[in-house]
Amino acid sequence: MRQLKVALVLLIVGGLMTTAAFFMAFYTAEVQSFGTVTLSQQLDTAYPLTEAGAGGFTYGRPWFSQKIFYFHVPVALASFLVLIIAAYFAVRMLLTKRKEFDTKSRIAMETTLVYVMLTMLTGVLWTRASWGVWWDWEPRLTTYFILTLMVIAYFVLRNSIEDEERRAVYGAVFAIIAAINAPISFFITRIIPSNHPVVFKSGFATSNLIPFLTAMFGMLMLGFAIYVIRMSEERLRERLDAAKTALEG
Amino acid sequence: MNALAWRQFRALLRKDIVMELRTREMVTSMGLYALLTMVVYQIALSQAGSLFNPADIAAGLLWLAFVFTSMLGLNRSLVHEKDQGCMEALLLSPVDRPVIYFAKVIGNLAFLLVVEVLTIPVFAFLFLQGRERGFNGPLWLIPLVVVAASIGIAGVGTLLATMSVNTTGKDVILAVMFIPLMYPLLLAAVSATNAALLGGQAFPVSLVWQGLGIIAGYDAIMLLAAFGLYEFIVGA
Amino acid sequence: MEPTNIELYDLVLKDAPFIIAGYGVLWAALVVYISLVLRRILRLEREVKAVEDSVARRTGDAVS
Repeated sequence: MRQLKVALVLLIVGGLMTTAAFFMAFYTAEVQSFGTVTLSQQLDTAYPLTEAGAGGFTYGRPWFSQKIFYFHVPVALASFLVLIIAAYFAVRMLLTKRKEFDTKSRIAMETTLVYVMLTMLTGVLWTRASWGVWWDWEPRLTTYFILTLMVIAYFVLRNSIEDEERRAVYGAVFAIIAAINAPISFFITRIIPSNHPVVFKSGFATSNLIPFLTAMFGMLMLGFAIYVIRMSEERLRERLDAAKTALEG
Repeated sequence: MNALAWRQFRALLRKDIVMELRTREMVTSMGLYALLTMVVYQIALSQAGSLFNPADIAAGLLWLAFVFTSMLGLNRSLVHEKDQGCMEALLLSPVDRPVIYFAKVIGNLAFLLVVEVLTIPVFAFLFLQGRERGFNGPLWLIPLVVVAASIGIAGVGTLLATMSVNTTGKDVILAVMFIPLMYPLLLAAVSATNAALLGGQAFPVSLVWQGLGIIAGYDAIMLLAAFGLYEFIVGA
Repeated sequence: MEPTNIELYDLVLKDAPFIIAGYGVLWAALVVYISLVLRRILRLEREVKAVEDSVARRTGDAVS
């Protein structure tokens, strides 16, 4: 069970990194401002004063909800990466027809599903905090919704095929098409004009880059740990099946 | 070899069309389904009030009808192949897989276009009468958008339907795979159709060309992918 | 506290519950998922050991 040990190390390091990123996001990262807020009197604060006049003192509005950035964006990026890995294994499976690549592709897809779900959950909470609504058909959310549906469709498709070889091939084909379609819908939802303005703006200070990168690597490690753990579970299952047939035969 | 492939392609296409001319099953069921969708639209819009102008969402309604009828048609066309053992016979014969794929795509595209050509006037007759003054766009571009997007629908749809007929879920599985994959194409098609219909300052002609460009790009990428993957599907 | 400062903090605090909840949900989901998988693995391991032992015993019997 060397793999499980590796996975455990990855889990601990990844967990520590994402936790560190959490604290860095609040303690070392700069608070970014979004819009302005006008107060009646001047005050002693770190927030930048942009305008002072008869109407009051205008400060940059502290943008607290931006803090989700250090968790939400790493998960989202990692989910895309894992989807691409799943598609890569799917291509290998189609070319070699070997069962192990099918298992790898499926497990990578499962990791994608976990990460996509996490992205959706944090995304919805961010939307509520930032825009005051739980859901909006904004390009990012829409794309993610479509991606979630495709990953779910992959498992629905697999579950409705009985023949093992056919399940592997169809699953691989769908994984490849989904991975091609994801970036396309990512671009197109941004190009096609919609009634909803894109509110997100990104500006970056170096103090923000460090927690972001820490969280990014942490998330990738966690994703890889999930993949390794699930793979070793699959191997155990195969061993169990083999032992059972040996017992019966 | 090329001439042979072309002959095989024509033979396969003729088979589908002759069968359709004999039974008229596909076009009848798809057309009827499109008509029923119109009835559902009437129900949905029945409480919208007199100020509401259906022309504002006409493009969306039209593509909604096309999506559902095309799913019905695609499923039908490949269930036929499978039930009559036609696909197996085809795979045993020395016909190249891409030829089978393109023959199937063109056949499905033809039926889809026939139904769309029938649906558009019916839709206009039922929902857009008396609203003609709002149509300031280049209406002649609408057929172009419809044909371009239908190529994508038939191309990807044929691949997906070939998979879904071999599953236990059949049409449900087709819908589950089809709609998310069609999303970018439909978004572009609705945007382009809307601009071609309403026009004016809010929807300039450039939007139509932009939509057409996106549709063309999607068609190219997805058809290429589907063409490459079809061989694996029929082999399994 | 300064009344205007309260106003400023208010802006921050209105967002805070959702963001903290976001972190919380993410962590909870990850921990639950991973612990479920790990428990499944532990159970499988026991099962594999039991079955493989009985296979070994049987083949051992056959040999002797």
